[in-house]
Amino acid sequence: MTATRPPRIELAAVARTYGEGAESVRALRGVDLTLEPGEFVSVEGPSGCGKTTLLNLLGLLDAPSAGELSWDGRPVGARSDRERTHLRLEGVGFIFQRFYLLPTLTARENVELPMRALGVGRAERARRASALLGEVGLTARERAFPHQLSGGEEQRVAVARALANDPGLLLADEPTGELDTGNTRAILDLLVRVRAARDATLVLVTHNPEVAARARRHLGMLDGRIVHDAREA
Amino acid sequence: MRPFAGRKGLRHAQLQAVLAVAAIGAAVALPVVLVSVGGGVFDHELADVQNAGYQIAVSAAGDHSIADAHSDVARFSAISGVTFVSPVLSVAVNAFNATGSESPVLAEGIIPGQFAPTLGPSEAGLFPNPIPLGDPTDELHYDHGTYAGPATYDVLVSSPYAAAYHVQVGATLALGLADARSGATEYNVTGEFGVPPTILGPVGAFAILLPLSDLQVMTGYANGTGTIVSDAVDTIQIVVAGNIATNPGALQSVQNSIQALVPYYGVSSLGQEAAQLQSADSVLTGFYLALSSVGLAVGLLFLALVLLRRVEMDRRSIGIRRAIGLPRRSIAAGIVADGLVLAAAGAVAGLVGGYVLVEAIATYATSTVQEAAQLAVFDPVLLGEIAAGVLGLSVLASAVATRSALRLEIGEALR
Repeated sequence: MTATRPPRIELAAVARTYGEGAESVRALRGVDLTLEPGEFVSVEGPSGCGKTTLLNLLGLLDAPSAGELSWDGRPVGARSDRERTHLRLEGVGFIFQRFYLLPTLTARENVELPMRALGVGRAERARRASALLGEVGLTARERAFPHQLSGGEEQRVAVARALANDPGLLLADEPTGELDTGNTRAILDLLVRVRAARDATLVLVTHNPEVAARARRHLGMLDGRIVHDAREA
Repeated sequence: MRPFAGRKGLRHAQLQAVLAVAAIGAAVALPVVLVSVGGGVFDHELADVQNAGYQIAVSAAGDHSIADAHSDVARFSAISGVTFVSPVLSVAVNAFNATGSESPVLAEGIIPGQFAPTLGPSEAGLFPNPIPLGDPTDELHYDHGTYAGPATYDVLVSSPYAAAYHVQVGATLALGLADARSGATEYNVTGEFGVPPTILGPVGAFAILLPLSDLQVMTGYANGTGTIVSDAVDTIQIVVAGNIATNPGALQSVQNSIQALVPYYGVSSLGQEAAQLQSADSVLTGFYLALSSVGLAVGLLFLALVLLRRVEMDRRSIGIRRAIGLPRRSIAAGIVADGLVLAAAGAVAGLVGGYVLVEAIATYATSTVQEAAQLAVFDPVLLGEIAAGVLGLSVLASAVATRSALRLEIGEALR
């Protein structure tokens, strides 16, 4: 399977409003941002400041209410839902705070799921899923169901699943939010390692300054706006 | 799609699945029972018609409203190709045997020599040959409509009646319309005849056979003062020559000739009767299916609700799949597959349940219901169509749940 090239993502005056009228919530208010391929970006900010909304827009899970979001210079709004879904399948790997593994599938089946959707053959799926689980240190837990795994193990399976189709963009929403210190460090090391190995773009939403410190670019958000954007040398 | 839910949720999902399967199963079992039993009874009736030894029947509306039966025998027999003409009068009378026991019996008045050839292969073996009722032409007693000739006073009894009342050949049997034996006429039992093992319709197990003219006199359907219908019968069955029986055009020509003689009576060939039966069967089958569609609609509505509930329970699972990038069609296919699995299980349960129900009725029920169930025919094509219809409709039933799943906001579902 060929790795997907990391996209150049641009947001121009992007806004996202949920609901209508007096009860509407403005989650993002005119965000301008450019993500270069291969960047490691942390997004920090208080709860409700729009971090997850920004991540969902970057990962094509959601669409802007206003403004323009483009991938490699091509506006996402011009792409059909099917195209966006396919782009997500091939080019984006999601890692969620609550892992979100499918409880009725084993660790390996969870990792195979994106490959199945892409039409990868059974043998190749099994081989690649085993390799990915090996990469995250879970060779012995391939056949375990999520409820048989610890929180740290579940998140490692989630990382392996996110890497299944070798995406160019990794989006992690508080990936260590439910883990203890030891597992937080281990997952963070894993993310840094797999990102570097693939030269993928990694956008990591976190409340934890120690986690954010591992990134090379730091975005700070407040009330739906990016109020801080700093790159390390 | 396997459900995403806790253990309690899984239990609920399993219970809902069982209920959906049961609802569809019940909805399928109903048409299986109705159509199989109805089809069996129809096949039996059709076989009766197709196995008859005659080809044309003359009938009229109302009781015993064919008049001048004896002369019709002569008129119809004169038509080219007609070989036998058998008028039949059926009336319930009272029979008093030698021990004084009284029993209502179905009396059939026939002309023996004309009646025997109208019997089909399955019936012929049930009657003695020749039929021992004295004068085979019934002309002696009839005597040109005077009914003054010598009567034979011979009677044949059905074997169930003979067995029940210990009536043997050579015994006497008093027959009459009144409840009192004093008004009855003594007849000589000259033979027995069997009845088909499965009886549906008006033919009774307690039956007797006697000369037509004897029964007409006994019941007031002869000529004379106070006669309701002169020389009356219910039907006249006509046997044609073999080459005509197998030639539809020639048979129609004979039918037309008879119709010309009696334009006020119905003249139909057994082929037409079979077609009428088939038409009636189609109407009944349609009615059964329409009736069953109500149950089916309820079952499928239940299935739709179960699938919708599953989507509600699986919101997060659907959100995860969509977030990963699984296409909408994959999500939709999972829900449709869920519906198909439940519908298929329901269809199988219904087919098996219907079969078991029919077998149980055939074994444990009583009377006509049991006999009807024993005739049930399980037509694999029709049952397959019912199952296929259920599967097809299950796709429709899953549409609401599919729509709901595809309209889920991914971000919302993952919260």
